Amino acid sequence: MATTFPRKLGGGAFEQSLKEFRAIVGDQWVLSGEEDRQSYIDPYALGDGADHDCSAVIAPASTEEVQAVVRAANRHKVPLWPVGRGKNLGYGGASPAEKGNVILDLSRMNRILEVNEQYAHCLLEPGVGFFDLYYHLQEKKIPLWMSVPGNSWGSVIGNALDRGIGYTPYGDHCEQICGLEVVLPDGDIVRTGMGAQDGSRGWQHYKYGYGPGWDQMFFQSNFGIVTKAGLWLQPEPEMTAKIELAFPHFDDAAWAIDILADLRRRDVIQHNIVFGSPVRAASTMSQRADWYEGEGAIPDSVSEEMMKKLGLGWWNAKINLYGHEGIVTAQVALIRKLFEPRLGKRLEFQFWRKGEPLEKSAQGVPTTMGLQCVNWYGGRGGHLSFAPVMPSDGKLALAYAKKIKAYYEEIGQDYYASFTIGRRHINNVSLILYNRDDPAMVARADKLYRHLLAEAAGQGFAEYRGHISYMDAVADTFDYGGHALRRLNDKVKACLDPHNIIAPGRNGIGSAPGAVANTGDAR
Amino acid sequence: MKRLFPAAALLLALAACSGGKSEAPKGGKDVSPIVTATFGRDSSDAGERLFGEKCAFCHVGKSTGAMMLGRRLDESQPAELHKRKDLSADYVKQVVRAGMNNMPYFNRIELPDDQLDTIAAYLARNSQ
Repeated sequence: MATTFPRKLGGGAFEQSLKEFRAIVGDQWVLSGEEDRQSYIDPYALGDGADHDCSAVIAPASTEEVQAVVRAANRHKVPLWPVGRGKNLGYGGASPAEKGNVILDLSRMNRILEVNEQYAHCLLEPGVGFFDLYYHLQEKKIPLWMSVPGNSWGSVIGNALDRGIGYTPYGDHCEQICGLEVVLPDGDIVRTGMGAQDGSRGWQHYKYGYGPGWDQMFFQSNFGIVTKAGLWLQPEPEMTAKIELAFPHFDDAAWAIDILADLRRRDVIQHNIVFGSPVRAASTMSQRADWYEGEGAIPDSVSEEMMKKLGLGWWNAKINLYGHEGIVTAQVALIRKLFEPRLGKRLEFQFWRKGEPLEKSAQGVPTTMGLQCVNWYGGRGGHLSFAPVMPSDGKLALAYAKKIKAYYEEIGQDYYASFTIGRRHINNVSLILYNRDDPAMVARADKLYRHLLAEAAGQGFAEYRGHISYMDAVADTFDYGGHALRRLNDKVKACLDPHNIIAPGRNGIGSAPGAVANTGDAR
Repeated sequence: MKRLFPAAALLLALAACSGGKSEAPKGGKDVSPIVTATFGRDSSDAGERLFGEKCAFCHVGKSTGAMMLGRRLDESQPAELHKRKDLSADYVKQVVRAGMNNMPYFNRIELPDDQLDTIAAYLARNSQ
């Protein structure tokens, strides 16, 4: 692996900056050797990942060290790519969008600063992982539950800032954030919401503060580095019930999504519902070769064999219910009334009551099982997700699914889809699995992603979250007013971060030629 | 179907309420997801504690590492890493730093060398 430098910085100037960074955080916490840089390459990279290689890694231990690093980075014009724990797998991991950035690894800032049982909130540093917070709650016997994403290896705060989701109440992780502490690109510190008051006793109690609420400005952006965040947690319910529904026919998507979306809108179902295809389920417990070794996409007949063997439907939804016993019991009755006549069988829920072993409950437990899917094709695997936001309309979802499935089959990719059903929207997650060491497959993955992006844009839909290799392409689809939003983002970026120091190109901000006056094209 | 990961097959059969037949899991048969998520965290053994914090979520119970190792190893060898009797400390360190198949490499910030030494010694304890 060749030595990489940030932008146009020469080796001597870069070495000088590293010397200063080492003086701030300590020698041990600045890495620039080849093996260390390799260990930060995205493990799911499309190819060898060298096109997103970093030039070094800095790991501060405190907000004060972050401030000092940012100020030094400004002096030396060294761009920083902050990561909470660097496990944003499927979106680029720790790798920067722009080759040669210095990764600012915040994983040493891993303190759980407060958990308030009475008011059900906590205050975390960005290096706190889902497993860390879960263990803390278990160890201290704190009756608060957390939402967890499919890959729980990463940072609680980092996931929320990238608008990651979970599948229990509080699963819209960005909505649970209440109060941020942010180091701005000039090294200043701001606290949002009620935290703007010195000595505030209401920081994690009320999100909006006084005047404009700036919190959203720091989500999926590069306007600052979040060093603390408040997060609301779910008070342990009195009772839960859970069940998996299997819908046997592909066309069931139309009616089933309409019913589920209505239940979600009314908060009968209080969580994002995953409505997924057979390969989605099969890829967490088997490999493709167990089912089919032919070229091209898996035929429907093989998917039907999977369904039969694994007790799946063409679509599968996991439903959890939470609350007081009277409410959960009534919700179960309603769901039975809505689905049993259509499915032609009695639904058997699993119930849990407070005090019983938590294993029976519908509590979110952190897991990395979702990562198993990358083994589908064999070899060193990866996955890439395209998930446009759509209205939660069953007929629309079905028509879209048919069109996308046909394209997967046309190019020879196994169809892996799910619809994540929210209160007013669905995300049609088209997951693209690949063997990263198979150049033809990697090229097919790229072609498929770009096709999905264009297809969605043509129908008025766009992605909710971006992989580092496609951040500009996704940003380009937000084109109202001749890309007015992008111009606004770039104006804010140029104002706050004139040297384009913080995560250049993140979500397409500050990457266009001339977007930020002092740096030109950051790509 | 040729080979289904048995632990996951059991999970699915239970969850789907389909009355489907399940095979006996090879590794982590009775391990709940909660145990996987918290394994070793309160151990007095520093090696087990660090293994629990850094590795167990993929290598204990019904987990992706245990599933893939279960496929690769012969029936006589446990799929859960902490039960293996054939691991040397050097081998563990090599795999952790360089990765293996779909196991990602660990960097020296998230897992400094002294912590890796402790984990490697813990995993090699049964083979000494």
